[in-house]
Amino acid sequence: MTETQMMALLPTGLADVLPPDATFEAATLAQLMAAFAGYGYERIKPPLIEFEDGLLAGLGTAMASQTFRLMDPVSQRMMGVRADMTPQVARIASTRLKNVARPLRLSYSGDVLRVKGTQLRPERQFTQVGVEIIGTDRAQADAEVILMAIQSLRDLGVDGLSVDLAIPTLVPALCKEFKITGDAEIKMRLALDRKDAASITELAKNIGTNNAAMLSALLNAAGPAERTLTALHKMTFGPDAARERAILTDVANRVRAAAPDIQLTIDPVENRGFEYHSGVTFTFFARGVRGELGNGGRYLAENGTEHGEPATGLTLFMDTILRALPRPQAQERIYLCFGISESAADTLRGDGWITISGLEQSEDPEAEAQRLRCTHIFIDDKIKKLKRELEG
Amino acid sequence: MIRNEKLVLALPKGRILKEVMPLIRRAGIEPEPAFDDDKARQLRFTTNIPELDIIRVRAFDVATFVAFGAAHLGVAGNDVLLEFDYPEIYAPVDLNVGYCRLSVAEPAEMVGDDDPSTWSSVRVATKYPHLTSKHFAARGVQAECIKLNGAMELAPQLGLCSRIVDLVSSGDTLKANGLVEIERICEITSRLCVNRAAWKTRPDEVGSWIAKFGEAVDALAA
Repeated sequence: MTETQMMALLPTGLADVLPPDATFEAATLAQLMAAFAGYGYERIKPPLIEFEDGLLAGLGTAMASQTFRLMDPVSQRMMGVRADMTPQVARIASTRLKNVARPLRLSYSGDVLRVKGTQLRPERQFTQVGVEIIGTDRAQADAEVILMAIQSLRDLGVDGLSVDLAIPTLVPALCKEFKITGDAEIKMRLALDRKDAASITELAKNIGTNNAAMLSALLNAAGPAERTLTALHKMTFGPDAARERAILTDVANRVRAAAPDIQLTIDPVENRGFEYHSGVTFTFFARGVRGELGNGGRYLAENGTEHGEPATGLTLFMDTILRALPRPQAQERIYLCFGISESAADTLRGDGWITISGLEQSEDPEAEAQRLRCTHIFIDDKIKKLKRELEG
Repeated sequence: MIRNEKLVLALPKGRILKEVMPLIRRAGIEPEPAFDDDKARQLRFTTNIPELDIIRVRAFDVATFVAFGAAHLGVAGNDVLLEFDYPEIYAPVDLNVGYCRLSVAEPAEMVGDDDPSTWSSVRVATKYPHLTSKHFAARGVQAECIKLNGAMELAPQLGLCSRIVDLVSSGDTLKANGLVEIERICEITSRLCVNRAAWKTRPDEVGSWIAKFGEAVDALAA
């Protein structure tokens, strides 16, 4: 390997974003943030690094194994680089913004860093965009966040959008009801996470045939919302599980009523990725796109010391969203020959042109314009479209 | 943007394929003739269903194709699914074929003196390093896995290591190589597996295949 090649190599999961992708990402992000602002979500900007004990308290516990640590030479305390922004927002809401009227609507965007990528998302640094609505337990708040995400993603141009609702508190309620604990519960949760029908059947001897049959039916109920809800309402649940079912139904009905054409599915046993959630959760997918566009749900916003406040959050992943969008059109650029007046150039930029100024007199301005990837040239006080050079 | 409008079903080459095909046909899928032609070099096949294609890949690759959404449906043993443990794969139907078990085996002459409760670390030849280390770690034993892709039974004979973790169905191969099964890790059957995003974004199509495969399993069991 040559020295230049060595310089180019980046650590696993980190990448340079180049033109035109960096521009496209920034524009997409700005459009999302503007959309959230339109719904009254105010932007906050937490720091990249915080003290470890604050960052990893409360909600942050789930990200402990994914967090990079470094030592603060000033305070001699351990610091962590954020691996997820939601815990930071929860911290801000419960401390500095605790006296602001509820419900508190906040939005944020920023990069996070993780110790390990996953097989599906090998990136260790990626951009999160999100909102949190804090201090309300109303189903309408869940619906607001879901509907806002649907609208914003559609406005970006995401095709074939699909929303999957889940309620990770339902299975624990059933476990309690069926008195499934310890090893059997862990095994069962694992099997449900993997939607592994065979393992549920196998567990029948530990958890009872009837209970296993009910859990299998629950697993098989995953699918289009209407079908799942019908199936869920045919099941006989104890009071806790029935309450979770009612909450899920409420949110699903609100989303369905406001967005009748959205592809809505329900997964009554989904739990992975929703370790700290306490109510309805949601995941966004787009047809033909690998991985999730974003997810979120109801949780208790707390920072480990204060009593938690009910909240609902949404996190979108810029990398997946960009994959779900059509490639950006190459932008038109106009070449300004050396010596053109500043006022003429200002007028062009005012009209929305991207101008590339010649820095010295050129013998063949059109060739120079082509070389600098311009699509137009400003020559003799006129805009002239350049013929596309046939490459190869 | 990756757009696979056709659904793709990934099937494993080899032993399992023969056992699975009756189920595939029972579910109403009839691949093009080249699929059964051993001389054909083709890897992707059309079927009688215009919106469904079949690909034939190695068993381990079925899981990878499905996890990344390159195939939407697949047939894989739970040995493969557990080895990768991809969160993007669901296994909603047990196809009840491809029965075998994943076991630890060692040379017959070792069995008498060996006390597994005293192990602190073991060296194991296996095709399943992840499953193997997880299995041993759960008992507080560090497993140093030597990844082999086949002929595991040779490893103890030639001094590569003394124990192996491999699939066992009749036990004949073990016996022929002087090995004894000392511990079962898990039972294996083939499963219909489904890509998570495909299930969520095309719930009707994917859901109907899950139902058809479930019915085919019930019909053949009856």
